[in-house]
Amino acid sequence: MSMQGALPVSLIPGDSVLHRVHPLPKMIWVVLYVVVAFMTQNIIVLYGMALLALLLGIIGGVVKPLLKAAFIIVPIGSSLLALQLMAPAVEQPWTQIAQLGPITLYEDGLYYGLVLLGRIVACLLMALVVVMTTHPSDLFTTLSKLKVPYTLNFMMAMTLQLIPVFQREVGIILSAQKSRGMKGNGFQAVLPSFVPVFVGAIERVQQLSISLESRGFGSAGHKTSYRQVRGKASDWVLAVIAIAAAALLGTVSIMRGGWSVSELLVVEPATAVAVWVVSASVFLGIIAFALILSFRKS
Amino acid sequence: MAKKSPLPTPADARAASQHAIVVSDARYVYPNGKVVALNGVSVTVDHGELLGIIGQNGSGKTTLTKLLNGLLQPSSGTVVVNGIETTGRTVQEMSAHIGYVFQNPNHQLFARTVQAELEFGPTNIGIEGEELAERVARAVEFFGLQDVIEEHPYRVSFPIRKLVGIASIVTMEPSILILDEPSTGQDHQTTSIINHLMRKLAEQGTTVVCVSHDMPLLADVVERVIVMKDAQIIADASPREVFADKPLMARTNLQAPQITEIALQTVVPLGGPIALTPAELAADLGARLSSKG
Repeated sequence: MSMQGALPVSLIPGDSVLHRVHPLPKMIWVVLYVVVAFMTQNIIVLYGMALLALLLGIIGGVVKPLLKAAFIIVPIGSSLLALQLMAPAVEQPWTQIAQLGPITLYEDGLYYGLVLLGRIVACLLMALVVVMTTHPSDLFTTLSKLKVPYTLNFMMAMTLQLIPVFQREVGIILSAQKSRGMKGNGFQAVLPSFVPVFVGAIERVQQLSISLESRGFGSAGHKTSYRQVRGKASDWVLAVIAIAAAALLGTVSIMRGGWSVSELLVVEPATAVAVWVVSASVFLGIIAFALILSFRKS
Repeated sequence: MAKKSPLPTPADARAASQHAIVVSDARYVYPNGKVVALNGVSVTVDHGELLGIIGQNGSGKTTLTKLLNGLLQPSSGTVVVNGIETTGRTVQEMSAHIGYVFQNPNHQLFARTVQAELEFGPTNIGIEGEELAERVARAVEFFGLQDVIEEHPYRVSFPIRKLVGIASIVTMEPSILILDEPSTGQDHQTTSIINHLMRKLAEQGTTVVCVSHDMPLLADVVERVIVMKDAQIIADASPREVFADKPLMARTNLQAPQITEIALQTVVPLGGPIALTPAELAADLGARLSSKG
């Protein structure tokens, strides 16, 4: 198997405006996205942030791999909505909106489910856009300049750089085991596939550590970088905009006690039932599909 | 798509097919649509043939072999193995007919013991009981794995691990065996075993396809060499013809075995043979020296 099925969670080479932005403003955007997303309960703000991240993905020319990687949201999002509708993670009393046999659906659950989903979608999309448009070495160099400890910095950069390596490795290993007639794609494939992946990972780490030591990693002195990262004035404007927007949204959210706009979400009982049925069906469907794949005899 | 009919047994398929491999005008373009890895490749391989595939990195060697066992499906053209067209067939289905030994044994091995590793492939294709035990015993004896049979595959040395990787495919007894760089990083002893294995399998009627940069190994063992460049086959001849073709070697950035190079510069201009092995060159030199008294 090639890497066709792998999720793209590494740099997608390109020369877009976003690729050319200094990594630091991008990191500031990610951090502030997380901060704002967890301060506010305003779904307009949250989905607006998600939309902005998607727009940045389009500008960066990474929208296709972005949506492919963001597919992971489907099982998480569907389970969140289905469970929150039945048991909201907010203080009681809850407002009942519909009764579906023994299952009671609550209006508060729908709103809070959308808030949780919005947080995940917004943060994930923004983080993916940054990862897909930033060279890991540039990130490394930038963090070095910010005096982030060298070892910690290196660990983060290596993690990002090793993801595509391991994805490729998994592809080769699956091909090798299929060539040996390995049956099934689920649980039956776990042992034959993951033992070589883990062993390979450990061996790679061992070799890497020896190689690093032999090249003077950890020695004292000023660290330089082959890659030079320079920021333009416009990059810092982006950072200032992000800080200002986050300060504004954060302040309003605190002052308005989370800035919930649940009153804007007027939902008919039939709509709530439809949302629950669709989300529960999607979630259960994914689980059923995974189980069938696991136990299927090829 | 209509469901494909069940495959015949490897023995039946082999008996019913005229050729082991027939690749017709195969083209493979990687999913990004930018890289043409194979461009109009056609090749026919007979049963029991020993074939070597050489070429620079990125010339399409591995892509061609991956088309053979169904790991990749041709973008156009056809690939027929033992009379079975691979399009629409799964790798698992094809695994009983064609074995594929990957370059790095670490990509294959996972079991707790070498024995379990050798049993994994045959078990997957429905071999059990006495036949399974016999196949494993034969492989253990041939590869000299008696001392490590109860060992964990990752606790044995890399050359032995390589042999375990090859043996784990050989126990499936496919009628076609693909070896991807079998001698890379191996010591002389392991390379000798691989050399011996290829000859023995071919004698038994197994078709062996070996992708390698190890020219001395190919010169010594294979009967036919395919040279690939820029996703195409640019030469298909005996190793003697291929390695003696200096313009071809230069064009593909390949180097003939040293012995052949020496022969080309010494005995060939005097009417001697294009030697592929030290023994051939030594025999000719010996004859020349003795004739001079």
